[in-house]
This record gives sequence, structure tokens and C-alpha cells, in this order.
Amino acid sequence: MTETQRTETRGTDVDLARAKIKKYLQDLAAALGSLPKEQSNDIVEELRSHIVEKSAANFNVNDDMNGTMTPASVDAVLAGLGAPESLARLYVADDLQIRALKSRSPVLIIRTLFRWASLSFAGFSALVASIIGYSLSLSLIICGLLRPIHPRTAGLFRIPDGANDYSVSLRLGFTGLPPGSHDLLGLWIIPIGVMAGLGLFLLTSLFALWSIRRLRRATPALSRRDEGDAEVSR
Amino acid sequence: MAQTLGQAGVGSDSGDKWEVQVRKGSLELAILAVLWPGRLYGLEILRRLADSSALIVPEGTVYPLLNRLKTEGLLTSEWVEADAGHPRKYYKLTSSGRRRAMQMAAFWSAFSANLEGLLAPLMPETKPNAAARTAGRRNADD
Repeated sequence: MTETQRTETRGTDVDLARAKIKKYLQDLAAALGSLPKEQSNDIVEELRSHIVEKSAANFNVNDDMNGTMTPASVDAVLAGLGAPESLARLYVADDLQIRALKSRSPVLIIRTLFRWASLSFAGFSALVASIIGYSLSLSLIICGLLRPIHPRTAGLFRIPDGANDYSVSLRLGFTGLPPGSHDLLGLWIIPIGVMAGLGLFLLTSLFALWSIRRLRRATPALSRRDEGDAEVSR
Repeated sequence: MAQTLGQAGVGSDSGDKWEVQVRKGSLELAILAVLWPGRLYGLEILRRLADSSALIVPEGTVYPLLNRLKTEGLLTSEWVEADAGHPRKYYKLTSSGRRRAMQMAAFWSAFSANLEGLLAPLMPETKPNAAARTAGRRNADD
């Protein structure tokens, strides 16, 4: 929209129609915030093209004012697309899943699961399990690596807990141990910690990727609501 | 087939869910099929889908789906400056998109041919001869 066009149509229906489009696309851009800028611009421009062309065409069918958009025709097209937030959610969820499945980076995996956690209980459970899995695996690896630096305090210890009870604790060795603590693995913590940590890391990634694939297949629960919105306007 | 998909919008919750899944699954194939002859932009894709099949095509799901197919490498896109005064984003099948479309089409037609045999007894009015015997038994059970 150029400056001259804007002045010519000021105060008219077309102006109001354009304002509606602008508002929708701004909301969409904001909701697409987590995508790379270039990609979200591309999506916004594509939908602008869709809205402009379709709202003019829509009006053309019902009236003689040759292909001019009106607030009503724009509203109809926007309703067909659904709320900007739910539209953006479909883009973002798809995008994160694909990137997580491709890259297998734990950070992306956790980010993807974070998104699903707000949508379903299964997503939430997968997120909690993955966080526990990753943190335990990292603790094991770090513990194994810290043992040479903290030879007396890093490792797997049995620690007295009350009179006749005890608990097993993985220690990184930054704090002292209560008296009566018993080192369970000795130097074996180095190979065992690192190996078990790496194994658990791998298992957690496999589990998380499996969950993401399953959640992906279950997407209709999410898109159904959006489709419902879209169908109302048809 | 498309007719039934379109009509089944209202139904029980589980039926509704199934219907959405079938539609979602077939939408991907429908988009690849529509793009088979050549490049199209979003609104054209939507119009072709609506014209050539009775599939209800929710616009809010088609654009994200196009985006996903592109990320998966099945489509490429390019912006073209149009006479209309605003640019249009055209989509085109990649070679792996063509392969995938052919695989999906082959699977779909084999699958639906098999399923049709199973479904015949459920639709006595359309295929009375083939279905008569089994349909009678089904009614008795009901």
C-alpha cells in the first residue's frame, strides 16, 4: 500500500478493510515470533496476498463494485483462515517438530515438547520425562568427569538418613559429605558414570523423538478446533 | 469418497476425529496431486481443491501444510510479481515431491480398492447384489 493510495481512500471502507488486514497480519507476525524472521515474513506476505486477492474476489461475486475489498469481505476471508494465534500455532508446531526430528538436538527437542506440554497431558508427561532423563544423564557424565578433581566427594554414595535408614545419592563433590557416607562405586564411577550417562542421553532422545512423532500424529485434536472455526464461515 | 468425507462433518466425537484424520491425511495427497501439472499459488490450490473434490478445505490448514511440505523438500516456492498488483507465492513439486505423490497415489488406490471390498456389505443400497447376503446377516444382528 503506497502513501498516495492511502490518502485517496482515507475514511472509506477500503481504508477500514486495509486496517483489518494490517491488524490480522500484525497479530500473526507476533504469534510467529519464534520462527526465523525471514520465514515469518514469508508466511505473512503469502497470507497478505491471499487475503487481498480473495477479499476482492469475494466482493466481486456478490456485488458490482468490481473487485474492491470491503470490511465485510475481509472479515469473511479472515474468518476462513481462523484466529491468527491458532494459524500461527500450526506453523510453529510443524516447524519445531520438523527441526527437532531433523537435528535431534536436545534443546530443540525440549522446546518442541514445551509447546506440546501446554496442549496435551501426553505432551506434558513427555516433557517431564525428557527433562528428568536429560538431567540425570548429564549428572552421571559430569559426576564421572569430576571424580578425578573431587576424588573424595564426587561419586555415588550411600548416605545415612536418620537412625537406621540411608539414601543413595549422586554427588558432584562440591559440598562435603555427612559422616558415615559410603562410596558405592569407587573409581568405577568414572567409566560407569560416563557410559551410563551417554546411554541414558541416547535413550532419552529416542524416547522424546518417538513422543514427538506420536504427538504429531495426534495433531487433529489441535487442528480440529481450527478447522471448526474455518468451516463456520463457509 | 470425497462426498462422504465432506458430509461426515457432524457426528459422534470419535467419528468426527476419525473423519478429521482421514481428511488431513488425504489433504496432503490432494495438494501434491493438484500441483502435478504445474506451479500454482495458494488461492489457486484452494480453488482447485474445492472445485475438483468435495473435500472441505479449511484454508487455515492448507497454508501451514504447504509450508510443511516445503520444509520437507517436497515443494519449492517462488514469488512472482503478478498483474493483480500484489506478488503471489507459487508452489511447484520437487523431484522428491513427484516421487512421493506417485507413491501416495499408488498406495491410496490399492488401499481404497481393498477397503471397498470390505465396505460393500455396509452399503446395500449402492451395491445390492454383492452385499445382499452379508447385509441380511448384519441386520439380523442389529
